[in-house]
Amino acid sequence: MTTITPGTPGVNVGAPAAPSGTQDATDYSIAPEQVSLWQDAWRRFRRNKLALAGMGVFGLVVVTAIVSIFWTPYSLFQEGLGDITDPASWAHPLGIDGHTRDVLSFLMKGAQIVIEVGVLTAALTSLVGIAAGLAAGFFRGWVDSLISGITYIGYGIPNLLIAFLILFITNRPSIFNVIIALSVTSWMDMARLVRGQTLALREREFVEAARATGTKDFAIMARHVLPNALGPIIVQATFLIPQAILFEAFLSFLGFGLPSPDPSWGAMVADGLNDRFLAYHTMIVPSVALLVTLMAVNFIGDGLRDALDPRLKR
Amino acid sequence: MPAILEVKGLKTQFIVRGGIVRAVDGIDFRVNRGETVGIVGESGSGKSMTALSILRLVPEPGKIVAGSITFDGRDVLALNDDELRKFRGNDISMIFQDPMSSLNPVLKVGYQIEEAMKAHDRFTPEEAKARVPLLLRRVRIPEPERRAHEYPHQFSGGMRQRAMIAMGLSNEPEVLIADEPTTALDVTVQAQILEQLRDLNRELGTAIVLITHNMAVVANICTWVVVMYAGRVVEQGPTEAIFRSPQHPYTWSLLRSIPRIDEKLGGKLLTIKGMPPDLTNLPPGCKFHPRCRFTVDRCFTEEPELMTVGPQHESRCWVQMDNVKDRDSDLRDTPQVFEAENATV
Repeated sequence: MTTITPGTPGVNVGAPAAPSGTQDATDYSIAPEQVSLWQDAWRRFRRNKLALAGMGVFGLVVVTAIVSIFWTPYSLFQEGLGDITDPASWAHPLGIDGHTRDVLSFLMKGAQIVIEVGVLTAALTSLVGIAAGLAAGFFRGWVDSLISGITYIGYGIPNLLIAFLILFITNRPSIFNVIIALSVTSWMDMARLVRGQTLALREREFVEAARATGTKDFAIMARHVLPNALGPIIVQATFLIPQAILFEAFLSFLGFGLPSPDPSWGAMVADGLNDRFLAYHTMIVPSVALLVTLMAVNFIGDGLRDALDPRLKR
Repeated sequence: MPAILEVKGLKTQFIVRGGIVRAVDGIDFRVNRGETVGIVGESGSGKSMTALSILRLVPEPGKIVAGSITFDGRDVLALNDDELRKFRGNDISMIFQDPMSSLNPVLKVGYQIEEAMKAHDRFTPEEAKARVPLLLRRVRIPEPERRAHEYPHQFSGGMRQRAMIAMGLSNEPEVLIADEPTTALDVTVQAQILEQLRDLNRELGTAIVLITHNMAVVANICTWVVVMYAGRVVEQGPTEAIFRSPQHPYTWSLLRSIPRIDEKLGGKLLTIKGMPPDLTNLPPGCKFHPRCRFTVDRCFTEEPELMTVGPQHESRCWVQMDNVKDRDSDLRDTPQVFEAENATV
C-alpha cells in the first residue's frame, strides 16, 4: 500500500519536490513537510551539537558496560600487577590502583553499574512517579490529597536519611537495594510533573469528548492524557539518570553503596582518596569518568527539552 | 410521537465564593424520536450547560440540584458510574464547538473513532475497525481509508468536525447533541456541516439536539425550537410558529436584530440593550424585564410561567407580541436601561 503517512521519509506532502542536490538549501516554508512529532523533535535535537556529543559519550559508556560483561583487560580479582606509583603503560593505560589491580578494568566494570543504576532507577522512578501523578491529577479529590501529601512529606525528609535507612534495614548492599533506595527518594519530582500535566490535559476538549463517548477512565489516562504529556516526562526521566548516578556514587563514596568487589566509580574515588599520598590518578580517573558521563547525560536532557518543548519551536 | 429524551424542571447550579450561579434554572423540554430540536440563546443562557447536564458531564463545582432527565424511560440522574459510561456515546453522544481541540492531536483520526466504538459492546473489535472508513465516507470525507490513518493536524477544520460527527454516530446513538458545531467554522463549511447533520437525521433517524446562538442555523434544520434566557426556557414551539409569530419579546427582538437582505438601505437594526443578567444575582420578576421594551407593571415583580400562546407554542411572558400595537416603533426604550447606560459613559 502506498499510503502517505507522516512517518514516510522523503514524501513532501504539499511541498514541491526539491531538485536533487538543493535539498537543504531551499526553504519550502510555505507548506511545511508533514512529519511526525518524533521526526520533528529529532531534527531539532540533531541541531544541538552538545546534545549529540552527549549522546556519543553516553553511547560509549553503554558500549563499555556491555563489553565489560564479557571482557576486561584483567580480571577484577587479579592483584600484584604492579605498583600504584608505576607510570601509565600500554599494559595499564590508566595505571595500577592501591590494591595492585588494573584501574582500566575497574573503570570498565564500573560503567556497568553506572548504566544499571542510572537507567533502572530512572525507569522505576518514572513508573512510580507517572502512576502517582496520573492518579492524583486525574481523579483529584482525596486521591490527589493523599498522593500530594505523601509527595510533600517525601520532600521534607532528607534523601540521604531514607537511603541510609533502607540500606540499613535490608542490611545487604546490592544493586537492587541501592536502586530501591534511590527510587524511593526521587519519585516525587516526576509525580509532581505528571500531576501538573494531567491537571491541564484533563480539561482539554478531546478528553471531554472522549468522556462524552463513554471512554473508560483508564483508557482516557493511557491514550489521551499520558501520550500528550510524554515530552516533558521523557525530559524529566533523562535528568533522573545523572541524579541517580551521582547519588549512587555518593553513597558508595561514603561506603554505604555496593560491597567491595562491585567496582562503583564512587567507591573507586573513595579508595583513591586513601592513596592520595602515593598517587592521584586512582582518584582522578573515576572522578573524570563520572564528570564526563554526568555532563553527557545532562546535555542529552537539555537537547531533548529543547527538541520536545513546542514553546521553543522556531 | 414518543419522546426519547425528556427534561423536566432541570436545575444546574455552581456554588462558588460569590454565591450560587444558576446556570440552568428549571427548564423543561422534550425531544421526540428522529426529531431535530434547536436550543437557542445568547452566551451564558445555559444552553451548553443543559447539554452537559443531560450527559451528566457538568464540570466541577457544578451540580444538578433538581429536576429529572428521562431517556427512553430510564432516569439518567439515577445511573451509576458504569451505567453512565455505557449511556454516553452509546445511547446519546455529543459533539463540541471547537473541532480543532476536540480530537486528540497525538492519535490517528481513524483510531480515535475506532476507540469510541471499543468503549461499548455494540460492535466487535473487528467490526469497529471495518466501520471506520464507512463512517468517514458517510460524513463525506474523501479517501476514507487513507484519511483514517492521518493525524488531526492533517485535517481541515470542517473535516475535523465531520470526523467528530462520525465519531458521535459510530455507536448509532438515538440522540446526537451538537453544541455549536459550526461556530468555529467558516460560513461555507457551516452550511455543509448543517446539511450533513440534516441528511444523517433523515437517513439514520438519529434525533439531533442542536445548540446554537444562530437563528439562521435553527431555521435551516430544526423542526422544534427552544429559546433560552437566563437558564430558563422563555419560548418554545414548532420552528414555523416561532419564526412566523414569535410571542416572547426576547425571541421577537432576536429575530428583529438579524439584518435582512430585503431591508431598505439606511434602516436601523434593532438591538437588545444591556447585558445578560448576572446569574448569581437574578433580577426579581421576569428575568428579561431590565432589557425589555414591552414591560407592564407585573413584569417587575412576578415571573410568568410558560403559557400556551398557540398550537404547541408556549411563551413565558405576560405580554404577547401579537397584541402589541406599536411594536415596530424604535422609540420604545426602557428608561432604567437608558439611565444606566448614561451613567457609565
